[in-house]
Amino acid sequence: MTTAAVLQAVILSLTVAALYAAVAAGLTLTVGVTRIINFAHGEFVMLGAFLTYGLHTRWGVSPWLGMAASGVALGLLSALVYRLFLARVLKQDEHNQLLATLGLSILLLNIAVILWSPDPRVMQAPALLPPLRLGPVTVPGNNVAVALVGLLLFLAMLWIKNHTRYGTQMRFASDDPELALHAGINVDRVFELSFVIGGAAAGVSGGLVALVLYVQPSVGVDLVIRAFAIIALGGLGNIPGALMGAAILALVEGLVSTFVPQGGSWGFGVAFLLLLLVLIVRPSGLFGKQVQA
Amino acid sequence: MSGLRIEGCTVAFGGLRAIDNVTLAIPEGTITALIGPNGSGKSTFVNMVSGQIPPAAGRILLGGGAITGLRPDRIVHRGLARTYQVPKVPKELTIEEVISVPLRYARSDRPLPPGVRSAADLARYCGLRPAGGTRCGQLSVSDLRRLEIARALACRPDVLLLDESMAGLSLEDTEQVIALVREIHAAGVTVLVIEHVMRIIATLCRHAIVLNQGRLLAEGEPQRVLTDPDVREAYLGKGFTL
Amino acid sequence: MNAAGMNILVLRLGFYVAVAAPFVAVALAEHAFLVQVAIGIAVSAILALAWDILSRTGQVSLGHAAFFGMGGYGSALLTPVLGPVLGWIAGLLLCGAVAVLLGAVTLRLRRLYFTIATLSFSLSIQVFILVTPDLTGGSTGIMPPVLAGGSPPHQLLFITGCLVAAAAVSDVFLGSRFRPAFFMIRNNPHLAAASGVPVTRLKILAFAVSGMVAGLAGACYAGLYGYVIPDDVFTTNWNVLPLAVTILGGMDTTLGPVVGAVALRLLEEVARHFVGGVGYQVVYGAVIILFIVGMPAGLVGFARGLLRRRKATERPDGAKARLAS
Repeated sequence: MTTAAVLQAVILSLTVAALYAAVAAGLTLTVGVTRIINFAHGEFVMLGAFLTYGLHTRWGVSPWLGMAASGVALGLLSALVYRLFLARVLKQDEHNQLLATLGLSILLLNIAVILWSPDPRVMQAPALLPPLRLGPVTVPGNNVAVALVGLLLFLAMLWIKNHTRYGTQMRFASDDPELALHAGINVDRVFELSFVIGGAAAGVSGGLVALVLYVQPSVGVDLVIRAFAIIALGGLGNIPGALMGAAILALVEGLVSTFVPQGGSWGFGVAFLLLLLVLIVRPSGLFGKQVQA
Repeated sequence: MSGLRIEGCTVAFGGLRAIDNVTLAIPEGTITALIGPNGSGKSTFVNMVSGQIPPAAGRILLGGGAITGLRPDRIVHRGLARTYQVPKVPKELTIEEVISVPLRYARSDRPLPPGVRSAADLARYCGLRPAGGTRCGQLSVSDLRRLEIARALACRPDVLLLDESMAGLSLEDTEQVIALVREIHAAGVTVLVIEHVMRIIATLCRHAIVLNQGRLLAEGEPQRVLTDPDVREAYLGKGFTL
Repeated sequence: MNAAGMNILVLRLGFYVAVAAPFVAVALAEHAFLVQVAIGIAVSAILALAWDILSRTGQVSLGHAAFFGMGGYGSALLTPVLGPVLGWIAGLLLCGAVAVLLGAVTLRLRRLYFTIATLSFSLSIQVFILVTPDLTGGSTGIMPPVLAGGSPPHQLLFITGCLVAAAAVSDVFLGSRFRPAFFMIRNNPHLAAASGVPVTRLKILAFAVSGMVAGLAGACYAGLYGYVIPDDVFTTNWNVLPLAVTILGGMDTTLGPVVGAVALRLLEEVARHFVGGVGYQVVYGAVIILFIVGMPAGLVGFARGLLRRRKATERPDGAKARLAS
């Protein structure tokens, strides 16, 4: 085992980490604001992946454009889902909220299976960016693109949350919805907006998925489990923590799949064990502040 | 010594000290008032004593034994019960079912109030009408408060913490709850009343404790405490009603 | 036992007889297709009861396939060593023990983490089977002793017995000892703790019992054909099915999962007709969403609500009649 091989594994993992972080950041934005645990977030990512893939293979649309289109499409779908469905569920207790988004996730997953079959497929796209040479390691152009866009997306979430008027309203509405109502904030609209932004981020992340992972209906579940593991690592609602969590998860996974025999099939196992370990050692997340369980 | 003793307790959220090195005693057999302006740490105090938020430092003694750091349900077993100001109760349960939970799970080796044998008795004792299987989803605020008191009494406590049980009630309801608290006290329960309305405290309590910004501000007879210049200042402009 | 207690007992037994009767009738009729359908429904109902027992404490499991599979594998692998009775008991105890361990770590936390932990646990255990071929047969699967000599009607009778046992367990947790405490834990764990309820311990208890009942369903299923591969019992289908069955039939009831298993089976047949073998689970998702939004109490809860409302409107009339006379 050469140093170059280790280095290669580490760097490729870090590009995937950017994708994980983008998925987790979108999720943590909606969970942090609406307190609705949107289990279907992964399926939104999956739909974005299929859209980008379909646009490219059917009509040769550049994945750059595909990503943007996925973002817009999933943002719109999120608005629809919020109005038709989530706004009603918000009135019910937390138990039913969780069940409802689980139902949505199962529904979307199986619609995808019916439309496109469960088989994995690979998007044959020319590299979006030139490959990057770092010493002995060559990073493929699409991985560079994923790392860049993923990080950008992640930073965008961070910026929206901390530096915009909506972000302030979101934090206010999430801390104390009743007080926010009295202060003249349209809580329902703020919730919807955060949901739409999260959905749009999921759509763009889906475009990234199409660049570096298999496009298949189950990819949403794969990613959402990892996203929750990352949120657990980083602490709920803690966006920078999510970045660290993503890096740790992707690194461990990448190293295991490169250097452990049959390691590729251990993906979930790694995420699960990491999650359990964190929950045992530090229930509030590695970088989270102490929260009431 | 019996009753409730708090020794040097601190609760901090991040940098904010919601309870800051508080030492005080609630003597056995009294009705004591805990007062203070909004955000003075009263709710945190109740959460701390009942075990929901354990103190970062200090000791809490109940009947002479330490209960610091115990789980909330263990503290109930040691003889301390509390009410919630805005209780969120399962709406599908009936009044009797809610009261039956502590009757079954809290300690059973102490007497219930005189003449009370069942959950339904306890509901009536607190002024509720349990007949017809009324579900909690249909209760008014004042009935929810009574239900909370009944639920706490079903824990068979030595010390009972009432978290603003009378806030927002009508005059008539308030009078009834005051009479109920007197009756509970007469049956041998030490009561700590967390209240806003000074008139209630003046009629109900012999002893008052004032918290401000997480610290003990004053302690003593209600009349004397309420005329204390420090207390006056803490309350100024905060809707001080006497 | 007093008269009221006797009455309740008789009612209960009558209820179990009523639940078992259609299954027994199908078994006696020996209609090959219906027997297979009834077996599938009974297994689904047992698994759904298991899921619902846990759900009453507010914990949503998305990993009951793990317990279903462990029950199947455990009983199958332990029966040759310990004999059928002890082998099954040991298999179910294994499920209970794993639930206790997993619960001890995850049940103290926000319910979200529990759901994620159960889901990733069920996916991980599949991997565990694949990488331990010496212990578990790996991807080639195992050959459990076949149930009831391989006669489907007899198998159905046996599984119906298991269903009644699961219903009885479910009823224990709907009794006065657990129901109010469980609902309080689900709705407001702080209030439950302030009422002296050992919250985490009861959640772990519910999880352990739930895991064992799910293991029973899996043991029944694994014994049907004498041959099981990991994909049969650890598949996500068994993670999702109990949610759909229970929500459709009615959460927090014993009858709900049974009714839901029948109704979902019907819907599934319809869906398979239209979309084929893959993707029929679209029905599960649709059922969950539609019922949570439109009829959260499920079929049984809705029917009960109607009955209660009718009684309530009848009562004032009765009172008036009495006054008039």
